[in-house]
Amino acid sequence: MPTTTYSGLSGEVIPCPPRAGTLYDVMELILDRGMVIDVFIRVSLVGIEILKIDARIVVASVDTYLRFAEACNRLDLEHDSGSVTVPELFGGQAVKSVGKHKAKKAASSIGDTVRSVVGGGDDSDDDSEEEAQPQRRRRSSSGRSGAASRRRRAEEE
Amino acid sequence: MTEDGIYVYAIVRADHPLPSGLGGVGDPPGAVERLDEGRVAAVVSPAPPQLRARRRDLLAHQELLLALAGAGPVLPMRFGMVAADETVVRRQLSDAAERHVAALTDLAGRVEINVKALPADDSLAALVQGDATIRGLRETVRRRPGYEANLRLGEAVATALSRRAAEAGREIVRALTPRAHAVAAGPEVSGCQVNTSFLVDRGDSADFTAEAERLARQHRDRVVLRVAGPLPCYSFLEPRALAGRAGG
Repeated sequence: MPTTTYSGLSGEVIPCPPRAGTLYDVMELILDRGMVIDVFIRVSLVGIEILKIDARIVVASVDTYLRFAEACNRLDLEHDSGSVTVPELFGGQAVKSVGKHKAKKAASSIGDTVRSVVGGGDDSDDDSEEEAQPQRRRRSSSGRSGAASRRRRAEEE
Repeated sequence: MTEDGIYVYAIVRADHPLPSGLGGVGDPPGAVERLDEGRVAAVVSPAPPQLRARRRDLLAHQELLLALAGAGPVLPMRFGMVAADETVVRRQLSDAAERHVAALTDLAGRVEINVKALPADDSLAALVQGDATIRGLRETVRRRPGYEANLRLGEAVATALSRRAAEAGREIVRALTPRAHAVAAGPEVSGCQVNTSFLVDRGDSADFTAEAERLARQHRDRVVLRVAGPLPCYSFLEPRALAGRAGG
């Protein structure tokens, strides 16, 4: 579907979408702007929901709030310079779809923080995240690839 | 061939070249042609039966319009405009010829650039450190973990991220506005704090985009900016929208 890009968890960018014509970024213009002529008929837009704009993770939902709280709780403000990003925390599935080595990078980039919060000293990839908050995995499959892709614009330069 | 009607993509000048090798909506893609009527023309293809807003058809619509816009001014139709038959199209073109010509003249050499502002959520530590309320909620959660406390903390974070993105997005729109002939608010998009289109000269569009991206970098701790364009002028078809830098 929409996502042609995965922004790596440490900022690397994997494939990029075409720029000007990215359907995703202009779909609402195609559907809601443009000229309407009253002697013409407009086709029904039933079924359009499957094409909705990239659902960002920042939406008002309990699930989102809990994940943000989790992200906050995991921060180590004394030692962490701000390197923990929400995409990292939301990254589980997207990370896996990008590939195992990405997942490892992800885990290592937040590993220290996770350990300091969870208290474990092991080196078990992102599994340590799941242990920290087991209910997270089950509810967070949608919107995740969007989360991972969101920084592509900024990183494209 | 037109039993399902005629799909209309755009109104253009009668001498507007058609892009080669681009099909229209439908599967297989409909053959695109230009119906000339006096000084204006409609770019059309046979409407497929049971036309819906499928991804493939939206792309066909968008790509044809992008290609057309590269060759001169276009009045892009909203997706999904279908005329009963050729007579209806021709009559509309001739009845509204003056208006169409005027609108095409207004838009000649101009393009739309769309800017969306989304929350930047990779500066969580800075947000937590800088916001006393969130810091307090976080301390509460740490002292006494629980569902309710987590919910309040998370909601405060989400709200703060959205607010910061909205503020930064509005600052960026203000900074870009003097460079545009006109500015139009776009439809609300879920998760976007700002969605604004700018009408700029095609020759200025690269500079405009570069400036938008410079501003995006400058504010990257608060906002993620997505810049799309140059686009056909979807948002600037109303004559009254053409105010701004040029004054009309």
